[in-house]
Amino acid sequence: MRVLVVEDDAANREFLRRSLAESGYEPVMAATAREAKLAAETTPCDCGIVDLMLPDGDGIGLIRDLKESGFSAPILILSAKRSVDERVLGLRTGGDDYLTKPYAIAELMARLENLVRRAESIPAEQRTVLRVQDLTLDLLRREARRGEQVLELTTREFSLLEFLCRNAGRMVTRSMILDKVWGMRIDPETNVVDVHIYRLRNKMERHGEQPMLKTIRGMGYVLKDK
Amino acid sequence: MSSRTNERGVTAAWRIALGSTLVFALGTMIAFLLLHEFVSREIQRRSDAWLTGEVSVLSDVAERTPRGALYDRIVDEVAQLATKEIPAGISSVSDPTQAVFFMETDANDSLKLWVGPSDSAVFTRIITRNRFKPEIPINVAIAGHENPYRVVQFVANDGNVIYLGMSERNDHQVLVRMRGYFLMIFVAIVLLGFAITFVSSRQLLRRVQRVTETAAQIDQDNLQSRVPAIDGNDEVAQLTATMNRMLDRISRTVEQLHSMSDALAHDLRSPITAVRGRLEQALMADEPGRIKEPIAAAVEELDQLANLLTTSLDVAEARAGALRMHRTRLGLNQLVHSIVELYEPSLHERAISVRLQCEEGIEIEADAGLFHRMLANILNNAMRHLPPGSTVSLTLRRDDGMMWMTVEDNGPGFPPEVCARLFEKHVKGRSSTGHGLGLAFLHAVTVAHGGTIEGRNRTSGGTQLILRFPC
Repeated sequence: MRVLVVEDDAANREFLRRSLAESGYEPVMAATAREAKLAAETTPCDCGIVDLMLPDGDGIGLIRDLKESGFSAPILILSAKRSVDERVLGLRTGGDDYLTKPYAIAELMARLENLVRRAESIPAEQRTVLRVQDLTLDLLRREARRGEQVLELTTREFSLLEFLCRNAGRMVTRSMILDKVWGMRIDPETNVVDVHIYRLRNKMERHGEQPMLKTIRGMGYVLKDK
Repeated sequence: MSSRTNERGVTAAWRIALGSTLVFALGTMIAFLLLHEFVSREIQRRSDAWLTGEVSVLSDVAERTPRGALYDRIVDEVAQLATKEIPAGISSVSDPTQAVFFMETDANDSLKLWVGPSDSAVFTRIITRNRFKPEIPINVAIAGHENPYRVVQFVANDGNVIYLGMSERNDHQVLVRMRGYFLMIFVAIVLLGFAITFVSSRQLLRRVQRVTETAAQIDQDNLQSRVPAIDGNDEVAQLTATMNRMLDRISRTVEQLHSMSDALAHDLRSPITAVRGRLEQALMADEPGRIKEPIAAAVEELDQLANLLTTSLDVAEARAGALRMHRTRLGLNQLVHSIVELYEPSLHERAISVRLQCEEGIEIEADAGLFHRMLANILNNAMRHLPPGSTVSLTLRRDDGMMWMTVEDNGPGFPPEVCARLFEKHVKGRSSTGHGLGLAFLHAVTVAHGGTIEGRNRTSGGTQLILRFPC
């Protein structure tokens, strides 16, 4: 799967290149808008990552140009600005996504995967039952079981567990959880998410089951899938 | 610098004055030429009318009157008429016969009768050479006379020809006098006009020049100079006022930029130092197992640093009135419930309880991201500053087109040293571990949304924040 990466900062570019390659992507690198257009013409890509501030122009302009010249792959926009302006929000409704710097690489990967999955309409979202190890989530009946044991979860806890299951085996950050489960893009200075995870973990392991939900200090959480 | 702008001002004034004076002079000249033409035509028309009228009367008289009696009567008539016609005091010539002549000749052009200037032979010779149409006056120049004569001819029934002539000297004198007067007035008006335009445009340009000089004085170090205020409300006064307003804005912006960068440096240096310390600690660690912990802490601190940067810039921008917002319609009820639900476990863990009292269906045009962060901020504050066992209550109600949000607690209240300056940046209680941005951020967001915020210690203990938004 080819990813066009447009990032002018050399250190960030190299970091992205390595991370993408390690995750099994085939990165196509560009440092400027001109290079990006050239690369997009010669190499068809399945996805794009575009930094908004480029030395030879605005990332939004580049994205518009790319789309006009037939680049139909979804794009993940990286922005160093604090507030995301309306043009980026407009692109988001058009099937693209954005991420503000500094970002956790795990979040970037998760968003990238989401974009690709959405673009290829892999019916992952269509499943009505999610299974991770001995954990089963029935999305229709909103019921979670650990083995045979039904877990007593609140609505929010169920949504949180559903989100973790959909990303089983991958790390999710606190800000991803806040965005997807609570619908807020905030960075709480306190451990509000940790306490929710802690409660969920208690309910999942009440009867001495194997620990599944692992905390990675400083980064986030992983729901282990094996 | 100053002398150069001065020179430029004078030349501009000179140019403006010269240009307008030239146009004015040209216009006046054209108007005078038209007037002159009209007056001279009118004078000639009048004398022609007199001549033709007079000659027909005279010829009538000449035909009917016997020779001997005719002469005296004509002399008398001509003299009287001529005296009447020539306004007294214009000419030094007291003898009217110098200005008017009467001549009668027979069919062979020999002089039969003459009344007029003494050189009758010259007159006869010259006049009889001309061809006349009956009763239409023509100009005839007579040798020895400065001005031509206007002469009309009448042929009587008996073949005799009567001529009546009048010198154009008087007409000429009128026109000469008119031209003289005009020239005097013309020169006076043009000079006066030039002087007035020059002086007034130079005064005007001097005022403009003051604006220029003030602008020229402004450089990186000096943003304080202002153009002296000018009374009145004309264009230059407006220019001055606008220029001063612009300078105010610029100097305000520059001040804000300075205070913003100072504040940023202040906000960033300590956390950066902390992160650096952690990483150094990781580098110094001997066992691989002890590397992870400081790095994880460093990452967490970096996240907080990014967050701090965002908040600090938001506060600075909001204070400068330049906070960028993306407003949408927000249902506050649901928003407050879900944020309280997010914080509830953490607050519960600290034995702080939350009471939420929320009127249904309150909506507000607001930036969702900023509002989320504002509410998170309020609950962060509660978590940070309230001792176990406290209660924080959040009340939302709508009243009179405004949305009122009240946040109250029964904790220790604001420390007395910060009470007066609650919403200023970097103001925090002695025991606070924060950056002193929380309430400043609340204030910034509230004001950016057109609302107001008040904070005080309740008499019964604890703090009270009242936020008001138009909705």
